Amino acid sequence: MIPASANSAILFDRVTFSRGSERLFSDLSICLSERRIGLLGDNGAGKSTFLRLTNGLLAPHSGRVLVDGIDTALDSAAVMRKVGFVFQNPDHQIVFPTVLEEVAFGFRARGYSAAQSREHASHALAQHGCAHWKDAGVHELSDGQRQRLCIVSVVALEPGILVMDEPFASLDLPTRLGLSKMLATLPQRMLIASHDLDLLAGLDRVIWLQDGAIREDGPPADVLPQYKEAAIANRRLEDFLP
Amino acid sequence: MIGAPLSQRTWLHKLPAGFKLLFIAAATVVFFWVEDPLVLLASLVLVLLVYFALGREAVLRLKLFRLMLPILAIVGAFQFLASGPAEALASVSRLALMVLLADLVSMTTPMIAMMDAFLPVLRPLRYTGLDPSQLALAFALVIRFVPVLLDDWLRRREAWRARGGSRGSWRLVAPWIAGLLRIADHIAEALDARGLRLK
Repeated sequence: MIPASANSAILFDRVTFSRGSERLFSDLSICLSERRIGLLGDNGAGKSTFLRLTNGLLAPHSGRVLVDGIDTALDSAAVMRKVGFVFQNPDHQIVFPTVLEEVAFGFRARGYSAAQSREHASHALAQHGCAHWKDAGVHELSDGQRQRLCIVSVVALEPGILVMDEPFASLDLPTRLGLSKMLATLPQRMLIASHDLDLLAGLDRVIWLQDGAIREDGPPADVLPQYKEAAIANRRLEDFLP
Repeated sequence: MIGAPLSQRTWLHKLPAGFKLLFIAAATVVFFWVEDPLVLLASLVLVLLVYFALGREAVLRLKLFRLMLPILAIVGAFQFLASGPAEALASVSRLALMVLLADLVSMTTPMIAMMDAFLPVLRPLRYTGLDPSQLALAFALVIRFVPVLLDDWLRRREAWRARGGSRGSWRLVAPWIAGLLRIADHIAEALDARGLRLK
C-alpha cells in the first residue's frame, strides 16, 4: 500500500536488509514525509545503513525504497540526483584541492561546460556566504569550514532532499551552532543521523532506531527524553567498570 | 608535498595546463639524456630561481622538500660508491629537478584544467573499454590525497610515539595500508553518492 503523499516522501516498503549473515532490517515499513527528520540510535543500530538505503547507495534485499515515487533499486542515478548526501568526514568527500573546483565539479559531472560550472559554483559559494574562500586550498580550511564546503557543494546541485550522516561529529559547539543555523535556511527536506541531541531537538520528527527496528518515532520532545532515560538505565553502563 | 595549490595566483598559473605537462614530459626526457652534472646542477639553480620568482609562499614550499633529503642522500651515496662523484651528483640533481618541477606544476595548475589536459592523451584508451574521464578523475584523486595519506601516516606515528614506541615505525606500515583501503572505500562511496562514478 502506498499512501497518497508518496510523491514527496521517502517510503520504505517491507524492506529487508542483511549485513553479512546478520539480518539488520526485516520487513521495515515507514513513510518519511516531514520536512526535517532526525535519526537517532546507538552505534550499530543501523542508522548509516538506513541512510544509504534512502539514496540508492545500498539496495534492499527484499522490499522497496521509493524516493518521491522513484524506486532506488531501479533508477539509482535519478535517486542520487534527488538526494544529496553529506558524509561524516569531509576528507572522504572532498575530491578537489581548491574550494571552487570542488563545487564546480558537481556541475561538470552533470554535463555543464568548464566555464558554466565555474560560474554556477561561484554563484553557489556567494549564495552561502563563502565567496571569500573561492580560491582557497581545501587543506587551509578548518574542519567546520570543510564540512560547510561539503554541504555547499551538495546543495549547489539543488537536490530535493539532503541526507546527512553525523554531519557534526568532532566539531566544536560554535561551529555546530553555525552549521545548524545554515541548515535551517536551506529549502531542502532533510534526514539527519546524529548523536547531537540539541540538533535533533529542533527537527520536526525523530526516529529512534534500535537493532534494526524502530523503537520510538515522534516529535523530538517525546522521543529524546525517552532515549536519554534508556541510555542512563542501560545495563551496558556497568560494563565500563571493572 | 605535491598536491596543495598556492593560495595566490601567479604568472605560472596563466600558462595552459597542457603546455606545462608537455614541458615536464620533455624535460624528463632531456634530463635523462644529459649526463653532465654541471648542466643538471645549472638547471636545478634555474628551477630554484623560478620558485623565488613565484614569491614567498613558493619558497616556503621548498621546506617540504626536506622530506626528500634522506632519499636523495641514499641515492647519492649509492651512486657515489657504484660510479663515482660525477654520476652521484648527476643522479641527485636529476631527481631533485623532477620533483621540484612536478611540484611547480601541481601548485600552479587547477586540477580540473590538469584533468582536461590529460583527456586527449587518454582518449585512445576508450577502445580498451576504459573511460578516459574516469581515469582523469583517478589522476586527480591521487594528487588530492597525497597530503591526506601523509597526514594519516604522521598521525599514526604520533599515536605510536605517545604510547612509548620510539623506534620501529615500520610496524605501522601494515595498519596504515589497511587504513588507506578503508579511506578508499569511503571515498568511492562519496563519489557514488554524488553521481560521479555510477556503476
